[in-house]
Amino acid sequence: MNAPVDATDLATLSMTEAADAIARGEITASALLEACLARIEAHDGKVNSFIRLDREEAREAAAAADKARAAGKPLGPLHGVPVAHKDMYYRAGKVSTCGSKIRRDFVPTVTATVLERLDAAGAIDLGTLNMAEFAQNPTGHNAHFGDCHNPWNLPYCTGGSSSGSGASVAARFVTAALGSDTGGSIRLPASLCGVTGLKPTQTRVSRFGVMPLSFSADNVGPLVRTARDAARFLRVVAGHDPKDPTSAREPVADYEAALTGDIRGLRIAVPQQWFFDGADTVVVDAFEAALEVLKARGATVERISVPSLRAVTAYGALLSRVEGAAIHANWMRGRPGDYSIHLSARLFGGYAIPGHLYVEALSRRGPVLRQFCTEAFGRFDLVATPTLRTRVPTLAETDIDADPQNWSRFMAVSANTRPFNYLGLPVVSIPCGFDDRGLPIGLQLAGRPFAEARVLRAADAFQRDTDWHRRVPPLG
Amino acid sequence: MESDLVQPTIERIRRWSGVECPNAAARHGLSDFPPLLAELEALRGTLVFEDEPSSFEAALQAEKEKTP
Repeated sequence: MNAPVDATDLATLSMTEAADAIARGEITASALLEACLARIEAHDGKVNSFIRLDREEAREAAAAADKARAAGKPLGPLHGVPVAHKDMYYRAGKVSTCGSKIRRDFVPTVTATVLERLDAAGAIDLGTLNMAEFAQNPTGHNAHFGDCHNPWNLPYCTGGSSSGSGASVAARFVTAALGSDTGGSIRLPASLCGVTGLKPTQTRVSRFGVMPLSFSADNVGPLVRTARDAARFLRVVAGHDPKDPTSAREPVADYEAALTGDIRGLRIAVPQQWFFDGADTVVVDAFEAALEVLKARGATVERISVPSLRAVTAYGALLSRVEGAAIHANWMRGRPGDYSIHLSARLFGGYAIPGHLYVEALSRRGPVLRQFCTEAFGRFDLVATPTLRTRVPTLAETDIDADPQNWSRFMAVSANTRPFNYLGLPVVSIPCGFDDRGLPIGLQLAGRPFAEARVLRAADAFQRDTDWHRRVPPLG
Repeated sequence: MESDLVQPTIERIRRWSGVECPNAAARHGLSDFPPLLAELEALRGTLVFEDEPSSFEAALQAEKEKTP
């Protein structure tokens, strides 16, 4: 539970601060919503984070939430807090564009289980957020709905594919947003926009009613301000769903209860391969400073060798490309011109990968995960890396549609996040500094399968001693 | 300089999948494959005869944290 609030701008409250303040009667859901709407009106013309803003429906829901509290009705853990979702979570009867021209008018007949769980917890749905077309880029470009812009510096990438999710939480338009993560699509916008993003363990959260990209690697998770927000959000949305047979039957922990601030004896490993290849000095410096914060709280840090990373990165490069190519094949044959240039180009490469190598990548996934866990978690509790190994790039220098020569820069954005999707591990990105151009830097912490509580405990401990996550973009 | 891998790959995709090369960026993307091919070549021989995709879910359970 958070302390009583004394905020002059309600929109700056974190999700849990706001929910707790509403529950205590210190603020109303309607006042909080109006504060968020005012910021959206003032600034989203520049940021472009929303695709559809359900303003009046949200007002009605907030009024009903205040009425329910006044009547003494039971309140859910997210009662009255404004949230929004990447425009790929289906709500029956509402358009879900998936950020695309092809599905610009798509109206699903089912509602995503995660949306139903957020509704049941009392969250106020503010609408749908900008995203990469079909969740297929790590930068935030979108040729159909306009690029999403980084609230910290508008010409720079937000990260993707959950671009609007990262930007809207950073800009204090909403207290929380749903993202999805197949190669880094929650953690990258979290890192680049300076917020907290959690990719849970593969199978932890139901994917029913969620646009598919790669069934082997798709994950549902939150972008929020704090680790505490992520803990509460995850408890609401996690758990087995009969509508998604692949969802885990693993019990859902009280993640928030694990946030004790005590990380004495926590053993953190820093892999020396891969994650620092070509890294910018300013990023490495911020990462090292973040490790010192964790050490000051009693954690230990050791540099290790992880030979299995070679297999992780090679096989991980195959899965989502092949699966994405397969599910887009009809449109790639019949409507190739309706994709943006970078997406049709990326999908096209997926058809070149031989089937036996795809099966090998799937079949080696279990053994490689075991090997990675032995190497990385045999003597350690968490793995730490930078989320993005370089400074935040601009939209222009990663724009493949404008110049195919930007391909390598574009693909490099997800280099540090993608390995954890192949491994299926829980991983959080939290803000740990700013680069010399004023753009955020992210720290990535990963744990064993289903170790979300431990991952979030470390993230929360870090945030108790730092204020990077409290800083607000100067949108003017 | 475009890799000599590109044109035959485009032909193979057309034959097997019925998908045409959509643009210059797609050609450029195919040129990006040789480093990945080298990595996959280095992994040859690691697949065991009994390996199968379901081993991943089993590994998630086997490797989970014992005392959260």
